[in-house]
Parts: sequence; C-alpha cells; structure tokens
Amino acid sequence: MTKDRRIQKLAIANRGEVAVRIIHACRELGIRSVLLHSEADQATRAWRMADERVCIGPAASAESYLNVEACVRGARAGGADAVHPGFGFLSENAGFARAVIDAGMIWVGPPADAIEAAGDKISAKKLVADAQAPTVPGYMGEDQRIDTLVEEAARIGFPVIVKAAAGGGGRGMKVIRSRAEAPELIASAQREGQAAFGSPVVFLEKYLDRAKHIEVQVFGDFTGQVSYLMERECSVQRRHQKIIEEALSPSLTPELRRAMGEAAVRLAEKANYESAGTVEFLLQDEKFYFLEMNTRLQVEHPVTEMVLGVDLVKAQILNAARAFQVWPQESLVARGHAIECRIYAEDAYAGGLPSTGRLLGTHWPEGPGRRFEVGVEAGDEVTPFYDPMIAKVIVWDESRLRAIRKMQSVLTESVVMGVETNIPFLKEMLAHPEFTEGRMTTQFVGQHFPEGLASADHQARRHNELTRAFASFAKTKISRGATTGSPMGSEDPTRAVWSSPWRLM
Amino acid sequence: MSSTMQAIEFEFEGRRYKGFVASQGSETWYHVDGRTWKEATSTRRRVGGQGKASALEDPRVVKAPMPGKIVKLMKAVGAEVGAGEVVVVMEAMKMEYTLKSAAEGRVAEILCAVGEQVSLGAELVRLEVVV
Repeated sequence: MTKDRRIQKLAIANRGEVAVRIIHACRELGIRSVLLHSEADQATRAWRMADERVCIGPAASAESYLNVEACVRGARAGGADAVHPGFGFLSENAGFARAVIDAGMIWVGPPADAIEAAGDKISAKKLVADAQAPTVPGYMGEDQRIDTLVEEAARIGFPVIVKAAAGGGGRGMKVIRSRAEAPELIASAQREGQAAFGSPVVFLEKYLDRAKHIEVQVFGDFTGQVSYLMERECSVQRRHQKIIEEALSPSLTPELRRAMGEAAVRLAEKANYESAGTVEFLLQDEKFYFLEMNTRLQVEHPVTEMVLGVDLVKAQILNAARAFQVWPQESLVARGHAIECRIYAEDAYAGGLPSTGRLLGTHWPEGPGRRFEVGVEAGDEVTPFYDPMIAKVIVWDESRLRAIRKMQSVLTESVVMGVETNIPFLKEMLAHPEFTEGRMTTQFVGQHFPEGLASADHQARRHNELTRAFASFAKTKISRGATTGSPMGSEDPTRAVWSSPWRLM
Repeated sequence: MSSTMQAIEFEFEGRRYKGFVASQGSETWYHVDGRTWKEATSTRRRVGGQGKASALEDPRVVKAPMPGKIVKLMKAVGAEVGAGEVVVVMEAMKMEYTLKSAAEGRVAEILCAVGEQVSLGAELVRLEVVV
C-alpha cells in the first residue's frame, strides 16, 4: 500500500449536475477543480463553477466525453494530478482508468482490474457464482449472431430482456415479448450499445415481471475493507431509466437487508473492489437475484448520503488519496427516509419526448431536508446531445410518508421555464397508491402510466379561474418594462454569468 | 425579445400565491399554484387543451417528434405499411425511439437519410393511402 498521496488538482471528466457535485466536494477538501468539457457545454453551471476548464472536443460524446485520449490529454493539460469520471461516459471504462494511471495521475474510482471483473456484466456473473449470490437465468455467450440470440431468447422463455454488456442507464436495453419482435429489438440494442458505449455485445436474461429493483451501496477502502451502506429502491423506472429512488427500501425485512448487504460485500471482496460501487438486485417473492454491479458512483447516491449522513464523493476522493478508512459496518445505521426525483427535460404530456431549448429560469424551493443537484441554470441551453436529466431533487424526512409529502410540496413549488419537464408526471406517480403503499415494482410506470400523462385526463393540466386570472395579470407585469431582451446575450455562449441578462432570481 | 423569469405576488379569491412569469420570442411561460405552462404570445395555439395533437395532423406523414438523428429506415419507397408499424428509428438524447405510422398505406417518399440530424417536426416519411 502506498502512503498518503496528496491530490491538489482534480480533473472532472463529466458534465451536468454530477460535475457540479464533484466541484462541491473539491471545494470542501481544498482541491482545485479542472472541468473537462465539450464545445456544447461552455455555458453550463459546472463550467462557471470550476476553477479551471479545458475543452476536450466537439459536442458529440464519442469525440469528447467518451474519448479516452482527449480526456487524458485534457487532464494533463490542466495540470491535474487526479481524475474523477463521475457516472456514465467513461466512468466504468477500465481502459480509461489505466490510461489515467499510465499518464501519472490518480484515478478516483475502483482499480481497473476490479472494473473489469465486476463491471463487465458477463464476467460479473462468473464472479457472482463465486460469491454465491443468486442470478436470473440467461444467455451470456460470445456468439453474438442475431439468429443465435433469438434462439437463446426462445430457450429462456419470453419475456426476455436484452442488454448491452458494456451498458448502463437504460441505454441498449429492450424487453422482448415475442419471437417475432426479437430480431429487430436485439439489433437495436446492439446499435445502441455501439453508439453509447463503443461495444455491440449484448446478453439476454429472463425478464421478471413483478420484481422490485433494489441495489446495495458498497464502499471499499484502499486497505481492502468493504462495508455496505444499506440499499436503495429504484423500482420506478421507464424504459429502464430510473425516475424515483429512495433509501431505504420499504420492502426489505432486516434479515433480507442483511442477506443482500452481505452478498454485495462478498462480491466486492472477490473483485478486490475499492471506492464506491453498487450491486443491483431484483427482488421478487422475497427472493433476490443479482442483476449487475455498477463500478462507479450512482446518480441516486444522495438518498444514501441523506439517511446515513455520509459524503460518498468526498470519501471517493479521500480514498484515492489514501487518506480514508471505510465506515465500520456497525456504525452504519440509517435514520429517516430519503427520496430522489430526477428532473428530465421532456414533455410529460407527450409521452416523455425530449424537450430542448434555452432555460428561461428556474426556482428550487430551499428548506430543511431538501437538496437540489442542478446542472443547468437560466440562460443555459438544454441540447439534444446528452442525457435529458437536468436536475435532481432530494428530500429527507423522518418517515417515508412524510418524505413523500415533502417531495410533493417541493415539486409543487419547483419551477423550470424554457423547457418542458417531467415534474407533473413525478407528482402523479408519487400520489399513486401503489407507490405510497410501497408496493411498486419495475412494472409500475408501464402498467399505470403507459403513455406518461399523454392518455389520461389530468386535473393538473386543466386551466381554471386561477391560472387564467394569473396569466392575464402576469402579462401586464411583463409588458411593464420587465422585458430586458439583449441583442447579444442569447448568441454568445461564452459570456460570463455576471454579465448575463439571464440572471437567476 | 426575452425576459428573465420574475416572481409575481398574486392574490386570488382571498388567497395569496407566488407565481412566476418569463417570456422568450413568441412564448410566455407561467407558473402558479404548482402548475407550469407556456402560451404562444403571437400565434394562436392550442393551450392546455385535452385534444390530442395527432388528431389535427396528417396521418400520412411521419414527422420527427423531437430533434435527433435518424438511425434506421425500416421501409423502402413502395413498401406497404400497416397502421402502428415502425417506419423510422431515431436517436435523441442517447435513447432510441421508434416512430410508427398512424395510417395504413404505401411509402410514397422518404425525406430523410440514415445519419441525418433532423429538427423537431421535420417530415421524414410520406405515405400514400392504398385504395
């Protein structure tokens, strides 16, 4: 083991709200931040907040955020001594981890070998057998011909799910319900895998039709100690993209929690894991099945931080600097309940179609037990190049029911103007009895909201006396000199925030 | 013309509300009582109605419902298409979306190419109804 390795300047190979999250951790630790960004991300919150910035390439992620060489070169050019990959993009790319280390910098994340062992879904399944964790029946062979995959899908029995082996975040995943639609869906998953992760390799598994998505947060330190930081439930998903997450899960008994936690720790230990990682399981009929291991920080890490009172990003950085000891298992006791809602730039009333454009303004209602992880502010552009998640709203309260109520209230007061968001959809889901009673499965959205809010007659959408009266009143306010249109402001993407006409309120 | 979002104190039927308003180009955005919506400032548009937009659209034309890239064309000119059948696969924000035909017919014209970046509302495929 090496001794204390000081980190003075950390490069962030990511964008959006996670880049902001890492910058916050850097500031608290007295580390300078260097943001590695694409040409499209010059006017974003992280860009303004970072101590230094290096442009690493064009908007297309393949040429910037997914380009190992460009990221390493950018980090070196910025004088960084360490690199944090955030989540998505290159965060689970062992080649990137090695390239960072080969270039003489510290990798903030698990060792490259552990990424390969646990992160690649095919080798992880072998690891899982050693760790004696149950798995779902499937096919993970090297023969990737469509015909073979269709035959294997039929053997497993429909419904079957096809997934990109290098994937995550819902991309490259499809549910196949019949043999007839299998070839096209498999080909589509292969294309998405190639486009998003640079590999067309897919695998198949039995699709459990009323399972809950439960994931265990693990953390290993550089001395080899691993603890589990309880679980999160992320059953509310659409197209395999998580929408609402919470900690702890309302569905686990203490015995099941311990069994899953210990299985996750065994798996991490077998992989010689270090730093933050997540072991995802499906839970159906009180039986759990290993799904995959994510060898990185998760989008939904804040709910774990809220109930356990820890800071996972700082822990990652300190561990990389060899200045961290993992929390002893017995010290990790959850208190209260935390919920996270992902705010996506999409039209809730049009089946969740992406909505792009310039943000006119946002208002996030601060208060006790509320946390807003925000990547874009007024004046910033929501572009079609990247993930549509623009912010996360996290609340904590003493019980699950109070946390749900708090989230409803916070979302009611949250304002995003300039792009459509899924806020109305989130509120409908939070109010659904299956959710409030904690009975939701991964089928929740598909069963109750198959077209989002597009098909139903929603009270929240209807205009009433109040909204009409407000609109006519507001119009008089706007015409009374409040308009401050600028001939330059909307054109110049490199303007500084203090000269922007698009000020946050 | 555009304006920063501004907060507005508003009283209605004896209750006080904090609302917000912002305008940009031909759009004005409002927020009050947990509701955010936009209205066209200049042109008349359907606002907050219950009718489906597709009812007003020509079912023989498949349009891009969002800006994005064309990934795959499922039909060639002259091919027969059933209602609800996938005609085009698009990618936007790293997700693939399948665009289905609203009508039954035959492909008359393909107005886009694989790999092309298309804008919102762009006409992608035109069908002719087979009698």
